[in-house]
Amino acid sequence: MWAQIINALLGLWLMAAPAVLGADKMIANNDHIVGPLIASFAIISWWEATRVVRLYNVPLGLWLLVAPWILGYDNTTAIVNDMLVGVLVIGLSFVKGKVEGKFGGGWSAIWKEETPHAQEARRQPRI
Amino acid sequence: MTKEQEQGIPPGWTYNPATWGQRLPIVGLAIVGMIAAGYLGLFQLKLVPEVWEPFFGNGSRKILTSSTSKILPIPDAVLGAIGYLTDAVAGAVGGTKRWRTMPWIVVIFGLLVGPLGMISILLVVLQPVLYDAWCTICLFTAFISVIMIGPAMDEMLASMQFLKRAKDAKVSLWKAFWGYKEVLDRVN
Repeated sequence: MWAQIINALLGLWLMAAPAVLGADKMIANNDHIVGPLIASFAIISWWEATRVVRLYNVPLGLWLLVAPWILGYDNTTAIVNDMLVGVLVIGLSFVKGKVEGKFGGGWSAIWKEETPHAQEARRQPRI
Repeated sequence: MTKEQEQGIPPGWTYNPATWGQRLPIVGLAIVGMIAAGYLGLFQLKLVPEVWEPFFGNGSRKILTSSTSKILPIPDAVLGAIGYLTDAVAGAVGGTKRWRTMPWIVVIFGLLVGPLGMISILLVVLQPVLYDAWCTICLFTAFISVIMIGPAMDEMLASMQFLKRAKDAKVSLWKAFWGYKEVLDRVN
């Protein structure tokens, strides 16, 4: 979970970065859009049942790596900042952390067959 | 009935996501969100003359009187306050086994918390992008919306798995959704 706390802080940092580092409107817009999304996905994945949401930040991190070149940043500080945050976010997104609870097979168990919750329900007596 | 069933622990789970210990914190967060959004709504309705803004100067005023905030007939913070109120009610209704006895309220709860969180994130993005301003209390309510999503979703998952078992048992999903007793007799 510590990894997703850091990712949430990195998202917040992106929201503040244009004001702190100085950036033109295009760079600022990119950071102001991607930052809240990264922070939100990271916060949602603080809980074990939704830990998988941390992976939604992988494409956002990849976008931060290529955005300076696709959008044509003319600001070296912003390029370094976005790419550095991108690398950190991608790496930390893959850190699953401890999941102690069991969730009947999780989200895929809603459509898959022979899942832990279905098997356990068969073992239990009728209520 | 096993000990797990007595405690309302879903099959294959280690805890019951519908206990009051699980739900009351979410209800509490929703009430805090309702109060904060309600305060912003009072400003938008011009019932309070000023809005508290400790960090961003004129930011809150700019955001709360922006054209986005007036897209709908009701000011957006008033709608937000109503949203948080429905979150709180949907979080509070039902007993501690409601993931199987009342899947409808759990699903409505999940559907309320999810989209309300999404709208909050969208509004956070729009503040700097469209208006070059930030609104402290708006950011605070968005944080509350986002922090509610994770803890609300485990109950939703338990209900969806229950509905899947009902479907596999060839029981009417409609009746399972509304918690008919004949379904509860056949599906754990």
